[in-house]
Amino acid sequence: MAEKIIAYRFDCLDQTLSQLNKENCAIIAGGTDVMVMYKSRRGVPPKIPKPIVFIDHLSELKKVYQNQKDLHIGACCTYSELLGNPLIPIVLKKAIKTIAAPAIRNRGTLGGNVCNASPAGDTLPLLYVYNAKLLLRSVKGDRIVPISDFIQGVRRIQRESNEILVEIILPSVLDDGAHVIFEKVGNRNADAIAKVGFAGYIRLNGDGIEDVRFAFGAVGPTMIRSVAIEKMLLGRTVPLTDSDIAQVVAAFDKIIKPIDDQRSTALYRKTVALNLLRYFLSMKQYQPT
Amino acid sequence: MNLKDISTSVPRKDHKGKVSGQLPYISDVKVENMVYGVLFRSPIAYGKIKSIQLPDLPEGYEAVGAEHIPGPNYVKIIKEDQPIFANEWVNYIGEPILMLVGENLDVLYRLLDEVKIEFEEHQAIYTLEEAIKQKSAPGVNMANYEFGESLDTITSIELKAHQIIEEEYDTGYQEHVYLEPQGMLAIYKEDEIVVQGSMQCLYYIKNALVNALDCGDDDVRVVQSPTGGGFGGKEEFPSMMACHVAVAAKAVKKSVMLVFDRSEDMVVTTKRHPAKLKYRTAIDREGNILSMCIEIFLDGGANVGLSSVVLQRALLNSAGVYKIPHFHAKGYVLKTNTVPNGAFRGFGAPQSFAGIESHIGHLSKLANNDPLEYKRKYLVKQGDPTITKGNFRDPILMEDMIEVLLKSSNYKKKKQKYHQLNQQNQRYKKGIGTSLFLHGCGFTGSGERDHIKAKVKLAKSKDDQVSLKISNSDMGQGILTTLSKIVAKELDLPLENVLYPYPDTKEVPDSGPTVASRTTMIVGKLLERAAKKLKAQWQTGVEQEVTEDYVHREMIPWNEKTFTGDAYPAYSWGVNIVEVEVDTLTGNIKLEKVFANYEVGKVIDDRVMKGQIDGGLAQGLAYGYLEKMTSKEGKIQQKSITDYGPPTSLDVVSIQSKVFDNPYADGPYGAKGAGELTLIGGAPAVQAAIEDALQIPFQQIPITPEVIIESLYVREGEQG
Repeated sequence: MAEKIIAYRFDCLDQTLSQLNKENCAIIAGGTDVMVMYKSRRGVPPKIPKPIVFIDHLSELKKVYQNQKDLHIGACCTYSELLGNPLIPIVLKKAIKTIAAPAIRNRGTLGGNVCNASPAGDTLPLLYVYNAKLLLRSVKGDRIVPISDFIQGVRRIQRESNEILVEIILPSVLDDGAHVIFEKVGNRNADAIAKVGFAGYIRLNGDGIEDVRFAFGAVGPTMIRSVAIEKMLLGRTVPLTDSDIAQVVAAFDKIIKPIDDQRSTALYRKTVALNLLRYFLSMKQYQPT
Repeated sequence: MNLKDISTSVPRKDHKGKVSGQLPYISDVKVENMVYGVLFRSPIAYGKIKSIQLPDLPEGYEAVGAEHIPGPNYVKIIKEDQPIFANEWVNYIGEPILMLVGENLDVLYRLLDEVKIEFEEHQAIYTLEEAIKQKSAPGVNMANYEFGESLDTITSIELKAHQIIEEEYDTGYQEHVYLEPQGMLAIYKEDEIVVQGSMQCLYYIKNALVNALDCGDDDVRVVQSPTGGGFGGKEEFPSMMACHVAVAAKAVKKSVMLVFDRSEDMVVTTKRHPAKLKYRTAIDREGNILSMCIEIFLDGGANVGLSSVVLQRALLNSAGVYKIPHFHAKGYVLKTNTVPNGAFRGFGAPQSFAGIESHIGHLSKLANNDPLEYKRKYLVKQGDPTITKGNFRDPILMEDMIEVLLKSSNYKKKKQKYHQLNQQNQRYKKGIGTSLFLHGCGFTGSGERDHIKAKVKLAKSKDDQVSLKISNSDMGQGILTTLSKIVAKELDLPLENVLYPYPDTKEVPDSGPTVASRTTMIVGKLLERAAKKLKAQWQTGVEQEVTEDYVHREMIPWNEKTFTGDAYPAYSWGVNIVEVEVDTLTGNIKLEKVFANYEVGKVIDDRVMKGQIDGGLAQGLAYGYLEKMTSKEGKIQQKSITDYGPPTSLDVVSIQSKVFDNPYADGPYGAKGAGELTLIGGAPAVQAAIEDALQIPFQQIPITPEVIIESLYVREGEQG
């Protein structure tokens, strides 16, 4: 009584896209999220309600290259591949190293982390402060969407069923002289789901702040970022005054609304998110990373 | 086998099968005419079953429940309070009510969703706090004991004391997280039922089966499968699963397999008892202890199981390794409508040691003394009485063990250095802490003589191979190797000529359960004696058999009613020093260094012992700060390993350990127990280190980042 499963594994991206144009499919890159999402109880295979398309082998989706100062990362690059790539910023590698354990990092992909749109996605806080743009492709052509528009809620994304995420683009990330940090707070050092994630980005001109960005993970349905709050700091000089810091922290205090769950408490998440922010803002100096 | 010293390591006998992944565990087994079982479990915490409505079952699918049990409907352990299939009252969420059996798991899961049961719900008790408030209500107090100096004497001391210090201390759940979830198979044959599975105690299961099936001794057989970790979780719990599969096999006349996946296992199997410990200590002007009263409350969960025995060990260890003047203790096991709690490595002692080490540490502050120096003032010595008027009659090496560890860890210098560093570093704070502990080896009191009555057998074949016939399980702790080694050395045989097949109750006498750090000391000694006997009568090329029976060591007789006498035949000892770094922004704790000295009589295999040290300490340290399990309205919240968070290799550091020789006459080559000891010191040492780093006292474990952040920020905020 084995059930029939339809699965496609095409040789190239074009064939894959044309199939997707005909039929709504479940896309599997590494499978590290899909297989968990549809997992059955012991002894029964996962039940994926749609035909499956495998894309993990498509070379069109595995390129990493520089275009001017922008970094283009193929959506199907596995975490392990990115760790071995010299173009990938060190701080992004640091975030990747906090993901699960080697076996998962050998399968899981950056595109998967984006499209899974988990509130606790480990690379998402950084992708948000990098102003990442997503290149989506269908038989009808390409479109580019900012990550903050693409991810709309818990596991809700703005992908049409005939589209595939091809590249994650990090604009001006190469040599822009920014100081970028990432912190993941989990219950242990491997195989942990984030209780709080934080990314901070700051670019100075002399002592003056030219650009500053913050993103928080696991404290809301999606990453929390506020351009309005960031603007409050533009033109200020570092080290920041206590009242500037307090003002920014108070502003985030109003918009960060985490929940209690089996992993942590709302109170903890909020306190720690604001602690990490305050710590980042209180640094005496910032070095380009 | 020609080893100068028995401690010299040999390759483990089970090494190849396990490392290559070739060894089949119970879930890998398939037999002819086999069906699967799935359990319908109570969705409510407390109530009466009003009606059961089953879906239409396809051909080959059947439901098995209380009405199919040939014998009485309870799992034989100590008391008759644990139904095999609940058919009147349900007492916790997840309690088995009936089993569906059939060939296809997918179909079974679908049918399970279609079972409809109507309940009359009653008000449940969800937490230990609630149970303590309702302690005198009928059925809540499941066991209690009280002993020590009279309360009148203590009151008169307290009246004259400089100060009375009262503290309350809470410990949480701990989940075993054995690598292999629970699994049991009943093989149906016309004249017998053979039950195979992952287990620690073959004869516990056999006795439960004879009772449930109301059958003769020869009608059931219990065979251990390779067992991927036990930690006490496979002590009494498998008896219930064995009853489920055996009753079902008998009812449907097919072989029945029941295996849990991780989430089912985490939610319904026994855990370490959450506990509340209350300390009331009178001190003089200098901070010296004048008297101490302790009250211990254990959350038993929905039935008593082994909880009364766990409470005994918690009470027997309540004074730690200290000689406390004028000591009094009492304890209770209270019922809550939550998953039953049961055996777990340490068996009540880890709660008590966490509590007493914490309390003594806090008292040392009042005395203005370094915690370790203060503890050493009260350390028991050879010849001292125990808190139950027994005697520490063997040499105690703790002072040496402490001195050696102080040197190798550089404790005093580091402590100073960290206090200076912490002034300068706003974010990260370092601390160092110690724990001192012991473990009573084997069953409490005269349990070995009166209840267990262990017997071992050695069988020699014509080709001069010798087989160990004992009912003990290798569950990863290494007895396959160590017990074989004892026999091989005694008989001067190559290790490969000593066999230790997976035990089968048809073949082996009852050498007792694999629990209580008793196997090496008690069973090992019996095997050593059996081997000596066989050697004396050895005839090459002839089949021979020898047996040995347990002989009790002369002690002060144990009286369970008055709680007096020698509670244990022997004690193993330990000292831990732990260094941590606490991130004050996140409350995260990083273990930096772990030092451990132990005394277990004599080590039978260095590498096996190192396995016990590293694994036991990792589990014990994690109990103190990392592993967190909670129950909300009767439901366990953490259903995955990730959410529960046991340590990974990135969380534990390399453990620097040393084991001291102090041979014990009634153990093989002088060996005592080691398996539980190694866990016990972890949590209290990690707590002491965190307190040293933050200069804040804590009254609970685990000290999670949430607990730390709350004490660092929220309380501070409230005051401000």
